[in-house]
Amino acid sequence: MTTKEGALSPYRVLDLADSKGAYCTKLFADLGADVIKVEAPQGDPGRRMPPFAGDVPHHEKSLYFLHRNAGKRGVTLDFETPDGRDILIGLVARADVLVENSPPDYMAGLGLDYAALRQVNPRLIMASITDFGRSGPYKDRKSSNLVDFAMSGVMITSGYPGKEPSLCPGTPAYDAASLYANISILAAMHMRDAIGEGRFIDVSVHETSRLGLYPWIIPNYSYAINPGGPPPSSESRLGASVYPVYPCKDGLIRVIALTPRQWDALVRVLGSPEVLQMPDWRSFLYRIGNASDLYALMLEFTQKYTMIELFEAGKREGVPIAPILNIQDFYNSPHTKARQFFVEVEHPVAGKAEYPGPPYKWTESPARIARPAPCLGEHNEEVYCQELGFSRDDLVALRGAGVI
Amino acid sequence: MLPLEDVKVLSFGTGGVVPDAGKILGELGADVIKIESKDNLDFMRTIGPDMNNIAQFNEANRNKRSFGVNLKTEKGKELVSRLVKWTDILLENFRGGVMKSLGFDYGNVRKLNPQIVYVSSQGFGGGGPFSDFQAYGPMLSAASGMLSIWAQPDDPYPVGSNSPLPDHMASKHAIIAALAALDYRHRTGKGQYIDMAQTEVAVSLIGEHYLDYTYNNRIAKPTGNRSTYAAPHGCYPCKGADEWCAIAVFNDVEWRSFSSVMGDPAWTRDPKFASLQGRLKNVEELDQHVRQWTSGLDAYVVMEVLQAAGVAAGVVQRAPDTLADPQLKWLGSTVELDHPVSGKRLYPGVPFRMSGAPPAQSTAAPLLGQHTEEICRDLLNMAEDEIQRLVKEDILHTPASSKEGGTSILG
Repeated sequence: MTTKEGALSPYRVLDLADSKGAYCTKLFADLGADVIKVEAPQGDPGRRMPPFAGDVPHHEKSLYFLHRNAGKRGVTLDFETPDGRDILIGLVARADVLVENSPPDYMAGLGLDYAALRQVNPRLIMASITDFGRSGPYKDRKSSNLVDFAMSGVMITSGYPGKEPSLCPGTPAYDAASLYANISILAAMHMRDAIGEGRFIDVSVHETSRLGLYPWIIPNYSYAINPGGPPPSSESRLGASVYPVYPCKDGLIRVIALTPRQWDALVRVLGSPEVLQMPDWRSFLYRIGNASDLYALMLEFTQKYTMIELFEAGKREGVPIAPILNIQDFYNSPHTKARQFFVEVEHPVAGKAEYPGPPYKWTESPARIARPAPCLGEHNEEVYCQELGFSRDDLVALRGAGVI
Repeated sequence: MLPLEDVKVLSFGTGGVVPDAGKILGELGADVIKIESKDNLDFMRTIGPDMNNIAQFNEANRNKRSFGVNLKTEKGKELVSRLVKWTDILLENFRGGVMKSLGFDYGNVRKLNPQIVYVSSQGFGGGGPFSDFQAYGPMLSAASGMLSIWAQPDDPYPVGSNSPLPDHMASKHAIIAALAALDYRHRTGKGQYIDMAQTEVAVSLIGEHYLDYTYNNRIAKPTGNRSTYAAPHGCYPCKGADEWCAIAVFNDVEWRSFSSVMGDPAWTRDPKFASLQGRLKNVEELDQHVRQWTSGLDAYVVMEVLQAAGVAAGVVQRAPDTLADPQLKWLGSTVELDHPVSGKRLYPGVPFRMSGAPPAQSTAAPLLGQHTEEICRDLLNMAEDEIQRLVKEDILHTPASSKEGGTSILG
C-alpha cells in the first residue's frame, strides 16, 4: 500500500448531491480529497437503484451507489431542521467545496444559498447542479437521465434508423453535469490560490449534456447552412452504415474504414479476397450506398477470424478494427489485467469485489479507491464527535429528534 | 479575471479528446498552443476538402493558438523544446509510442521541464499489450463493454451511436487530471505523468454493470430504454417522421398525472397498471398503449402537456431543436464566432457559470500555423529574418506556407 498522498488530499468536499452529482465527488475522492457525503436520514435515493449485490434490494447494496460513492465518508443529516442546519453550517466552515443538486430555490429557502454560506466561509467553492438551470422557462421542469439524454442530441444518433433511439448505458447526462461541475470547481480552486476567496458555480444537466456530450452537432448543422438555401438536414441515426459491425469467429467487430487506404488495409486483413478488390468498394460513399450487399460479402471472410486476430491484423495493416467486448471480455482482457485496472474493495455489508479503478495512473500522487462507499451514517460519530465536538449523548439526542 | 489566466498549455492533440480538453481549458482562460505539422495533420483536418473549413475541427480547436512546425527536423524539435520549457500542462493523445519517436515522451520532456504536468490519453492507456493501438471513439465504446449494452434487446447486434462517445467524456477527465496535478504541483513543486485510458473512462461511466459482473457474475445484456424502477420509460413515436418524445414515470403520483393527461382512458384503470410493480410486469402492453396515444401527437405537444402535469418528458432533439430551445436561448448556450475561412458559424457555448468571473471567452479555431510567427516573436524571442528563413525552409508553417498541405481522406 502506497503512502503517497493524492493530488487533492488536503481538501474537504461536502457532497449533498444524489445521482446527478455523485460522479463529480467520486472523482474528488479518487484523487485523495476527503469527501463527506451528507445524506438525509432516510438515505440517498441512489441507494435504491438496481442492480444490487446478491440481487437483494438493500440500501447498502445498490451497485450504482457503491460504484459512484466509493472513497467517500458518509454522515446523515436533515438540514431542514434548525439543529441540522446549524450542523451543516459547522461542516461548511471546515470545507473547501460543497456540491449539491437540489431544485433551484431550495437552498435559498433554507438560508443555505451561497450568499449565506460564504459569510461562514469566504473560501468556500459551491457548485449547484440543477436539471434545467437556476432560472429560465424550463427552470421548474421535471427531468431524468433518460429525458436529459433525449434532449442532448446524442440519442437521435443512437440505435437503428427507424427504430426507437437507444439510451446510452450508465447515466451519461448526469455524468456530463458532474464532469463540468468538477472542472469548474478545480478552476475556481486554482483561482482561489490567487484571490483568496471562493466562487459559486451554476451547472445544469440540460445544458452540459447538450453542449458537452457531443458538441459537434451544433457546428455540423451550422456549417451546412447556405444562406437563402433550404435548411440542411440534421444528424440522425446511421446505424451500422458508418462504422459497420461484422460477426467473426467468437463475437463481433466494429470497423472504421473511411479512407481508400484504410479499405485496402481491411481487404489485406481479410486475406485479399478477389470479390473485395473491385475498385468501387474503395469509395466510402459507395460502401454506404451498398451496405447490405457488402455485409453479405464480408461475412464469409470476417467469420474466419477471432475478434483479437482481426484487432491485431487491423493494427498491422493500418485499419482501425475494434472487438466488441462484453463486460466479461473487457474484465478478462490481458490489457486490462496488465494495467491492474480493477481493484479489490471490501464493503462491510455488500462484501468484497473488484471495482473499476480510477481511469488513470499517476506517477507522483496516486489515484485510488481508498475506502468503500459509506454505509448510511457510518461516519456520524467520527465527524460529529471528533470534529464538531458533539458528545455521544448529543448524537443519541440528535438521532432521536430525526436530525441525523 | 478568468480562472486559468496564468496557465500555459501545450497540446499535441488529434481527433476529439485532447482538442476538446484544450478548448475548455482555453475557455477558462488558459493560453493553449496547439502543435501542428503540415505533413502529419490532426486527422480531423483531413475529413473534408479544406483543412481550415471543417466543422468538427473548428469546434474542437477553438480557444487555441496554432504553432505550425515540422517535428521531423532538428530545428523544429529545438523550437518545440523551448515551448516545452514555457509549459505548465502538456496534453497528448497521439498513438502510443509516437511522442517517444518524436523525442517528446515524458522521460525526455521532464529533463527540459521537471515540473511539467504531462497528461497522455491513449485509447487503451499505456503499459499493456494494446497500448500502441490506434483508437477512435467508436472503437472505444466497442472495446470497453459500453457498446455491448448500448442497444435495444431485439437489435440483431449493437450499433450504439454515430457520435464518438466516450471521446467527449474522456476529454473532461483529462482536464480534471491536469488541473488536480497542477494543484499538487503548486503545493509540492512536483510535476508528474498521468496515463489515462479512454476505455477505462467508458468503464468508469458504466461501473455498476461491472460490479454486476464482479458481485453477481452477471454479464449485462442490452435493455434498451427500459428501466427497472420506472414505467413508462422510453422514447415514444410521435406525429411525423422519426419524431420521438422520451417519457419517464417513476411513481404512482406521476402515473395518475400521466393518465389524466391522456384523458384517463379505460385501459389506465386496469388494476394491473395501478402500481409500479404492475406497470413493470406488463410493460409491453403498457408501452403499446402509450405509443398509441403519442403517435397522433406532435412530440412537443406531448412534452408540454406532460411537463405541465409534472411528468418528466423531453423531445428527442436534433440540432435545430437546440437552436430553438427556449431554455438554452435563455441561458445563451450557443455562441457565434467569425472564422477567417468558415465565416460566422454557431458553436456550443460554455455550459457553466461562475460568480465573479467574466463570461468565459471563446475564439475561433486557428488556421494551420496562424500563430507561428507571433509565438516565435513573443515567446521564443526570435528575430524576424530567422522566422522567415525557417518558414522558407518549411521548418515552420504559416497559413500561407501550408496551403499545399492537407488532403481529404475521402478524396
